[in-house]
Amino acid sequence: MRNLSVPLILAGWASLLLHGCASVQPPSSMEQEKAAVAAQRQETFESEDFIVAIAKAGDTTQSLAAKFLGDADKSWMIEEYNEVSALSPGQQVIIPKRFWNLSGVDPSGYQLVPILCYHNLAPQSKGRLVLGVKSFEEQMHYLKSQGYRVVSLKEFLEFTSLKKQLPRKSLVLTFDDGYRAFIQYAYPILKELGFTATLFVYTDYIGAGVTALSWADLKKLAAEGFDIEAHSKSHGNMRRAATESADEYAKRLAAELNVPKDLFSKNLGYLPQSLAYPYGSQDDVVVQRTKERGYAAAFTVRRQGNPSFVEPLRIHRSQIYSEMSLDDFIKNLNFYNMESLK
Amino acid sequence: MRRAIRTLVWALYLAFFLSACATTTKLDQTMPPGAVESLVAPHRTKATQLEAQGDLRLALNEWKIALTIDPKDSVSAQGKERVEKNINQAVTDAMSRGREALKRGVQSEARRYFLRALALDPANKAAFDALQDDIKEIRVLNHTVRKGETLASIAELYYRDRSRLEVIWETNQLPPNPKLEPGTVLKIPEIPGVPFSGPAAPPPPRPKTESPTSPAKTEPPEEVELETNPMLSEAREALERKEFTVALAGVDRYLVQNPRSAEGVELKRTVLYQQGKTALDQKKYAESYAALNQLAKLSPNYQDSSSLLGRARNFLVQDHYSQGIRLYREEKLDGAIAEWRIVLQYDPNHAAAKKNIEQAERLLQGLQERQQKK
Repeated sequence: MRNLSVPLILAGWASLLLHGCASVQPPSSMEQEKAAVAAQRQETFESEDFIVAIAKAGDTTQSLAAKFLGDADKSWMIEEYNEVSALSPGQQVIIPKRFWNLSGVDPSGYQLVPILCYHNLAPQSKGRLVLGVKSFEEQMHYLKSQGYRVVSLKEFLEFTSLKKQLPRKSLVLTFDDGYRAFIQYAYPILKELGFTATLFVYTDYIGAGVTALSWADLKKLAAEGFDIEAHSKSHGNMRRAATESADEYAKRLAAELNVPKDLFSKNLGYLPQSLAYPYGSQDDVVVQRTKERGYAAAFTVRRQGNPSFVEPLRIHRSQIYSEMSLDDFIKNLNFYNMESLK
Repeated sequence: MRRAIRTLVWALYLAFFLSACATTTKLDQTMPPGAVESLVAPHRTKATQLEAQGDLRLALNEWKIALTIDPKDSVSAQGKERVEKNINQAVTDAMSRGREALKRGVQSEARRYFLRALALDPANKAAFDALQDDIKEIRVLNHTVRKGETLASIAELYYRDRSRLEVIWETNQLPPNPKLEPGTVLKIPEIPGVPFSGPAAPPPPRPKTESPTSPAKTEPPEEVELETNPMLSEAREALERKEFTVALAGVDRYLVQNPRSAEGVELKRTVLYQQGKTALDQKKYAESYAALNQLAKLSPNYQDSSSLLGRARNFLVQDHYSQGIRLYREEKLDGAIAEWRIVLQYDPNHAAAKKNIEQAERLLQGLQERQQKK
């Protein structure tokens, strides 16, 4: 009897001790302060999705992005998740380890990415499509000063296939046709601001005279990270003309889509993935053929921004005309569609 | 006895060891329990609030953050599990309603359900694919061209932006430099991110020279973080003067830069509501409808806006329907048809308007045939 009761009592004692230990008295305010200090010393907490850190003096969103996400350019993830542009010491910072909103859709609306479409540039504007350098410079500096992020076409296409989240104020710059003026006037400004761009060139024009870029120019631009893509062979309207027989049309359309592929492959060493329809003109037949010929994305000139779920063969672009004031230009920067989705 | 003593020693040893493990390691090697608790608590509170508001996605993230700080926090673990379950349920529900709407051919409804699924689960492939592959236009209105109208003036009417004429041009597959004949029906699509004024918006604000937001002072908008944004205060002043169009233009300009600004969105709601209500009182039903319709897109249940919208719609339907009857009696069949088409824009199920259009079209056809025989 005695032999049995002793361990029992002891077990009870032990459990009492353990219990006491689990329910530690709530700390006084002094202790809480100490705890907060300790918490600051304590660096981070980490799970599958998030890192929770306390900002120290000198920490920036860039430095935290470099340290925890391996890339200072991912600072926008920290800024947008915490809705801050700068950090103050002692502030709790949530660092999302993964994209948390791939499609850019939330209960109050969805993200749009505008794609701007430029043509030729010159010291002075001429007609609608030759933009004065001063206006272009003003527009680019405006984008920079307002915190817009110029993303590459590749990144944009990852966004439209649910592979990449883009910063909220993202946009894409494109230049049509293949004018030499791109190197003379746009390139220095883009370089200065760290902006990338895509050139849609029609292959009949490349190397055709002093106003056109050459294949060698394009190769150099591609090596610097500019994206060169197709804009047909001849810049002819790709929709069937009233006077064209079915056969003639099929042949013409095949050439418009195939010749750029051959020439890109020969001169640049890769196949174009994207096509800008000349004049933005397309219909169901054009879209179908473009897809069949292996283009993953194609672009119109319908003046509106793009949600992530835009139809890949009818992506919208907004043409920037020389007569536009800065205000008119800004009207093309729609990067959110407000709509209650609860 | 000896055995009992031995057991006692072991038990004491064990108790000491266990208790040490529960306290000292936590205090010395990680951090005091109070500190962890003080870090977790705000996230728990926020998660609970968000969940109550129905913001399930944000609530889930807050529960996950709470668990990042304290993986053993049982309240958060339960919260996470519960919200995940609710999200799954709501997504499944939205997807099946969306597919069902698609089968019925109601794209606008299907679109909203698929978007709702993505708002709950932004990486949901099925919802994303459905939007990308199956949904074409958001919302398209028909516009019957009136005398003197151009694509630019129509774009100004619907989008308050003349340069959007390209969208109307492209949607209707028009030839270059088209001539618009009165009576032509054009499709006018809603453009995401651009305020859409609806079918019968008030005439565009012409007196640009007198307007306080005249283009003469087109400075780039001020910094985002300023508390009293000059652009918003201009809009507020315009609202006080009941210059709703000016106020709205000001808020919209601000919102292009700051679409998530709660202050901006709230002001936009107020302007639209005031405009809708005032115009309704003044019997300007088209203006009232346009404003309240925009408001419905932002917040469907803002105050009594949905009942006001219903009233404006009813008045408009009555107005255009009886205009149609008047024109019909005057044997102006084209005009009558145009009026009844407008009725159908507001009320697609208006049986009398449908019937009248058919009858007028038959009459018109008969007339034309007789004229050709002559």
